[in-house]
Amino acid sequence: MSPGVTGIQVSWLLPLTVFVPWLGALVVLAAGRAGRLRTGLAIAFAAADAVLAVLLIPLASDRVGFSLTIGGVFGELSLQPDGFGVFLAAVAAVIGGLAVVFSVDYLRGEEGQGRYYALVLFFIGAMVGLVLSANLLMVVIFWEITALCSWALISFNNDDPKAVAGGIKALIVTGLGGVGLLAGSLAIYAQVGSFDIPTFMARANGFPPRLLAWIGFGFLAAAAAKSAQFPFQTWLPDAMEAPTPISALIHAATMVNAGVYLLARFSPVFSGVPGWSLSVLAVGAVSAFIAATMAAVANDLKRVLAWSTVSQLGFMVYAIGAGAVFQSQFHLLSHSVFKALLFLAAGAVIHSVGTRDMRSMGGLSRKMPLTCAVFIIGSLALAGIPPVNGFWSKEMILGAGLTRGPFWAYIIMLVTVGLTALYTLRCVWMVFFAPAEDRHVHEAGPAMKVALIPLAIGSLVTWLLAGPFQALLERTLPLHFPAAVADSGGLKGTWAIASEVLTAPSTWIALGVVALGAFLWTVRSPFKGIGARLRPVRRAAEAGYGFEAINRGIMRGVQGMGEGLRSTQSGLLNWNVAAIVMAVIAVLCAVWLVAGQGG
Amino acid sequence: MSNDAWTIAMAAVLGLVAIGIYGMLIVRNLIKVVVALQIFAKGTILVMVAAGGISGKPAVGQSLAITVIVADTVVTVMALALAIQVRRWCGTLDTRVISRLRR
Repeated sequence: MSPGVTGIQVSWLLPLTVFVPWLGALVVLAAGRAGRLRTGLAIAFAAADAVLAVLLIPLASDRVGFSLTIGGVFGELSLQPDGFGVFLAAVAAVIGGLAVVFSVDYLRGEEGQGRYYALVLFFIGAMVGLVLSANLLMVVIFWEITALCSWALISFNNDDPKAVAGGIKALIVTGLGGVGLLAGSLAIYAQVGSFDIPTFMARANGFPPRLLAWIGFGFLAAAAAKSAQFPFQTWLPDAMEAPTPISALIHAATMVNAGVYLLARFSPVFSGVPGWSLSVLAVGAVSAFIAATMAAVANDLKRVLAWSTVSQLGFMVYAIGAGAVFQSQFHLLSHSVFKALLFLAAGAVIHSVGTRDMRSMGGLSRKMPLTCAVFIIGSLALAGIPPVNGFWSKEMILGAGLTRGPFWAYIIMLVTVGLTALYTLRCVWMVFFAPAEDRHVHEAGPAMKVALIPLAIGSLVTWLLAGPFQALLERTLPLHFPAAVADSGGLKGTWAIASEVLTAPSTWIALGVVALGAFLWTVRSPFKGIGARLRPVRRAAEAGYGFEAINRGIMRGVQGMGEGLRSTQSGLLNWNVAAIVMAVIAVLCAVWLVAGQGG
Repeated sequence: MSNDAWTIAMAAVLGLVAIGIYGMLIVRNLIKVVVALQIFAKGTILVMVAAGGISGKPAVGQSLAITVIVADTVVTVMALALAIQVRRWCGTLDTRVISRLRR
C-alpha cells in the first residue's frame, strides 16, 4: 500500500468515525415512534462505527490525518490517528456497539428509547472525537459533550429523583474538573498561539516552569474528576442509577478512561514538573485503595462494580505516575473489556431478579448458567488471576511500580490487589452461590447473549495483543516512547512481555496476596471477631470516608451560586439592554485605558 | 468618500443607534420594541456602508448591508407575528404584564 493511498483512506476514515454515530443519532431521532426500525438503525450505525474504528487501527501513524482549517482562534480542527487515539476509538466504538445490542433486551418495552439510542450514539461519536483530536479546543468540547451525554443518560429515568440527583452530581463534579482542562488549554493558547497539541508538546520546554506546573495540575484535576479519582470519586457510584448498559459503556469502558487518556497523552510534558508524577501516583494509589475498601462493604451489585472501576482506574493513574504509560494503557484495554462484561452480566442479573441488592440474590448459578460463567470470567480478570487479561496487565503495572515507583505506594497497591480478590469473590459468591429461596428467574435474552459472549472471549484473549499493542504505541508516539525497540511486535512481542511478567518477582508476590485475599474470604468465620473490631472502619467505608461530604459541598456550592445568579436574569428587555450598554461602556473604557497606557 | 460625507454618515449612525438603544431601554410596548430594534438596525446598516466606503471596498460593505437587511426583515416579521400572538393570548402588549406570566 503506497503512503498516498493510506493518506486518502485516513483522511476520510477519521471524520467518518466521529460523525457516523452522530448521523445515526439524528436518524434514530427522526425515525420517531417506529420502535423496531429505530432499534435496527441504532444497531446498524453503532456496528458501522465499530467497523470504521477497527479499520483505523492498521492506519495508525504519528501524523495528523485529517484537518479542516477554520482559522482565527480555532486554528485547524485536526484529527490524529496515533496509538492512543485509534485504540481508544476502537474500544469506544466496539463496546458501544455491544452495549447498544445488549440494550435491545434490557430496554424492551421501556419508554423513551429514541432518546436513549440517540444519546448513546451521540456519546460514541463524542468519545471517538475526544481521543482522536489533535486540537485542545476540540478536546475540551468533546470532553464536555461526553459529560452532557453521561448526565442525560444517568438521569434517563427522569421521574426517579435519585437518578436525576446522580446525573446532576456527575455533571457538576466532572464539569468542575473540566474547568482545569479549559484553563490549562487557554494558558497553552496564550503561550503558543494555537490549540494544536503536537505544537504544544514540542514547545512545552520553553514554557515558564510555574505556568507549566499550573497547567499540569489543572489537567490532573480534570482527569481526576473525569476518572472518578480521589478526591472526586463519589460521583461514580451515584451514577449507577443509569441503565446498566450505560454503566458498562460510559462509566466503565469509555468516558471514565478519558482522564487516564489525558494524563497519558500529556505525561511526557508534565513529568518534568516537580511533584507532578508523584501527585499522579499518589492520587492513583489512594483512589485504588479506598475504592477497594468501599467495594468490600457495599451491598449494591452495581456499586461494588463502580467502586472496583474507581479502584482499577486508580491502578492506571498510578502506572502513569510511575512512568509506565504502556502498562497503564494496556490495563485500560483489559479493564474496558472485562468491566464492560461484568456490568453487562450484572445487568442481565438485575434485569432478571429485579433488584440490585446482592443480599436478596444468591443461587443464580443454576438458573443463569451462561451469565454466571461470563461473570466469573470477568471476575477472574478483575481479581487478576491467570490466564485472563486482567492478570497480565495488572502484573505489568505492579512490576513497573516496584521498580520505578516509591516502595510505600507499591505496598498500598499490593494490599489493594488482595482486597480486590476478596471483594470480587464476595460479590460472585453473594450473587451466584449464596443459599437463597427458590424464585422465578430467567436467563439472559438472545441480544444480551450476543453482547456478552464476545466480551467474555475478549477477556480471555486480549492479553495476546500485548506485543502488537506495544509496537503500535511505540511506532506512533515517539515522544512517549523514545527508547522504542524496533523489532518488538507481533506475537513475539507478546511472548517477550509474558515471559517477563512470569519471571518478575512482583507477579508471584501479587499472586500470593490474591490467594491470601481469596483465602480470607473463604474462611471468614474465624475472623468474625476482627471484623467486629473493624466495624468503625467499615462504617466509615460505607459512608465514603467523608469524601461524600466534599463532593456534596461542591454540588451545593455550584447550585447555590446558580440560584444566586438567577436574580440577574430578570428576562426584562429594558434591563438587558441597559446591561449591554453598560458593558459596551466598560469595554470602551478598558480599551481607552490600555491605549492610553500604550501611547 | 469625502470628509463631509463621512461626518454626516457618522452623525446619522450615532443618532440612529442612540435612538434605538434609548427606545429599547424605556419602551414597554412590544410593537414599539420592534420599532426601536429596527431603528437600531438601520444605524448598523449605515455604518457598514460607510465603512465599506472609507476602506475603499464599497462592494463588501454593500453586500453585508444587503445581507443584514434580509436577515433583519425575517427577524422583524417573526417578532411582529409573535407580538400579534401575545396580544391575542394575553390581551396586552405590555412587557411588564407579560413577564409576570412565567411565575
